[in-house]
Amino acid sequence: MAKLTLDGVTKRFDDGGDVIVAVDDVSIEIDDGEFLVLVGPSGCGKSTTLRMIAGLETISDGRIAIDGDVVNDVPAQQREIAMVFQSYALYPHMTVRENMRFGLEESTTLDTDTMNERVEETATMLEIDDLLERKPSELSGGQQQRVALGRAIVRDPAVFLMDEPLSNLDAKLRSGMRMELQRLQHDLGVTTVYVTHDQTEAMTMGDRIAILDDGELQQVATPLECYHRPKNLFVAGFIGEPSMNFFDVSLEDDRLVGSGFEYPLSSPIRSELAGDEKLVLGIRPEDIEVLDARETAHDFPVRVDVVEPMGNENNLLAGFRTDENDSQFNVTTDGMRRIEEGTHYIARFPESAIHVFDRESGVALHSREIDDEATLLESRI
Amino acid sequence: MTTAEPTDAGTGEGRLSETIETVDTQRVALYVVLAGLIGFYLSPLWAGLTTAFKTQTGFVETTPVTPPTPAWFTLEPWELAFAAMQGGLINSAMFVVPATILSATLGSLAAYGLTKLSWRGQVGILVIFLAGVFLPYQSVLVPLRQFWSAVDLAGLLSFAPFLANRADLLELTITHTAYGIPICTILFRSYYKTLDDEMIEAAKIDGANAFGIYKRIVLPLSLPMFAVTLIYQFTQVWNDLLFALVLVTSRSNYVVTQSLNELQGSMAQEYNIQMAGAFIAALPTIIIYVIFGRQFAKGITGAS
Repeated sequence: MAKLTLDGVTKRFDDGGDVIVAVDDVSIEIDDGEFLVLVGPSGCGKSTTLRMIAGLETISDGRIAIDGDVVNDVPAQQREIAMVFQSYALYPHMTVRENMRFGLEESTTLDTDTMNERVEETATMLEIDDLLERKPSELSGGQQQRVALGRAIVRDPAVFLMDEPLSNLDAKLRSGMRMELQRLQHDLGVTTVYVTHDQTEAMTMGDRIAILDDGELQQVATPLECYHRPKNLFVAGFIGEPSMNFFDVSLEDDRLVGSGFEYPLSSPIRSELAGDEKLVLGIRPEDIEVLDARETAHDFPVRVDVVEPMGNENNLLAGFRTDENDSQFNVTTDGMRRIEEGTHYIARFPESAIHVFDRESGVALHSREIDDEATLLESRI
Repeated sequence: MTTAEPTDAGTGEGRLSETIETVDTQRVALYVVLAGLIGFYLSPLWAGLTTAFKTQTGFVETTPVTPPTPAWFTLEPWELAFAAMQGGLINSAMFVVPATILSATLGSLAAYGLTKLSWRGQVGILVIFLAGVFLPYQSVLVPLRQFWSAVDLAGLLSFAPFLANRADLLELTITHTAYGIPICTILFRSYYKTLDDEMIEAAKIDGANAFGIYKRIVLPLSLPMFAVTLIYQFTQVWNDLLFALVLVTSRSNYVVTQSLNELQGSMAQEYNIQMAGAFIAALPTIIIYVIFGRQFAKGITGAS
């Protein structure tokens, strides 16, 4: 158990004369026992960051410290970390028991009985104790996943690193493992860094999420804070499924003028926007209300092009009727309500739910209102 | 198929003509060609085998492919050939086994270093290994002889007379090991490149150092490739005559290919003894293939 510090961590790759910056000045403090999810699109540098923590990649700049001790020059073998790989990376010629014991044999001086005891304890915890004498090739994907996890847990490391460990499982198994991993991490209380490209995993599993794009850290915050208070356009678009709708707008007096609509602003929001003219209006699909008649200035006539009934909700693809560019946006409505394809409705964009971003820099200028902000965005640890 | 029509099924003639119709002419042609090829490739072996069991008059008065009749049948050529080659067989075994194991082991270690460890200048080293594969034996004969004359291994080993007497064989062992390392390295390298990098990294994080990873992960997983290199190197080194002719000077150190060469009589050609000798010389490579055959198949199909 330990605190993990990343301070200005940078990774540069030399690619035939060109220098590629894979990770750019990333600083994160990860508390003892915290579950941090590193998330971002592929190629954003999240795996490289993890591999630098593991000691599998050298650090070009900055420092990584475990409990205050800088480990930049400590080889992977001596970092007291355990890692679960996407491919599981089990040793195919060894039984499950040997796989799990390998780390203990290589990194500790325990006697065989103690090692076996610890392996069996961990296997029981993961419900793989009846598989101990089997080879990895005789196991299903889910079982292999558990063995990979067991191999990491049995070593009782200071830090757990997980590199997309669930991405090779089928959807059902994945959601089950998601919960189990959280429970395990909570019970063991080991500091964990978890890499994924899946925003659902990030939202559901992490105590905090660190969102990376193009090697740069975009935001580190609790999942709900990232969701409701995205710092910039990238975070707003990345977190949430279906993702937030964005409309290019320009600020004219106290209105946001977009293609096919004009959105009047109240003075408190207007004052937050200062002098910027080129803006982006953002609103989440579930915040748009679908009505039959126009009541306020924030209601717009729309046509519904596509309806995807999900049971619990409907995902709609809609467009402003007055929009010449025919751009479309997503709306999520209650599943119990029947919405007809090709029909005209009124869509309400409540002012309390809108986000406004600067189009040039992407920085959030205004975020949605939250009634009880303190309770909702409170950290879970 | 042939009994599709119940009215025709009763008569034998109808069935026969239908069977003939269904025979695929292409397939027939294929089998004829294949049988011809089998005959073509097996005939020398067969001729050799029959000759080895014939007496002197037997192989003079019959064609090689005719099997030996009881009148001309004899096991004498085998006995004579074996007696003449006994020393050569032992000498060969004494240097081929270590040379094979050494080149496979060193090749495997070199390949591990060139694929799973990262260090500067790998490409340059790899190029040297690659070049080594294409170096023809003939081109190094003179420098090789000069090198071993300069080293004077027998003189260096004079403290141990047994080894000093066998210096020729030691020279052969070292030469063949050195000559075998490049091809073994290339073979192991192509195999190690298919090994999961994450698995090696997992072992690293588990606390194993470079040699520990080799010993406990890479080596056990390379057994199929070891079978391939062992078979290949054994055959290569066992069948070599050129280096032996250049390096082996004392008759007591003659290797099997040299003693086979010696079976050529100076006056009369005793083909029966030569043929028996050829089979005796070839037997160990066949045994090795049988022993490692299963692993060999795994190794060349890439299954692990």
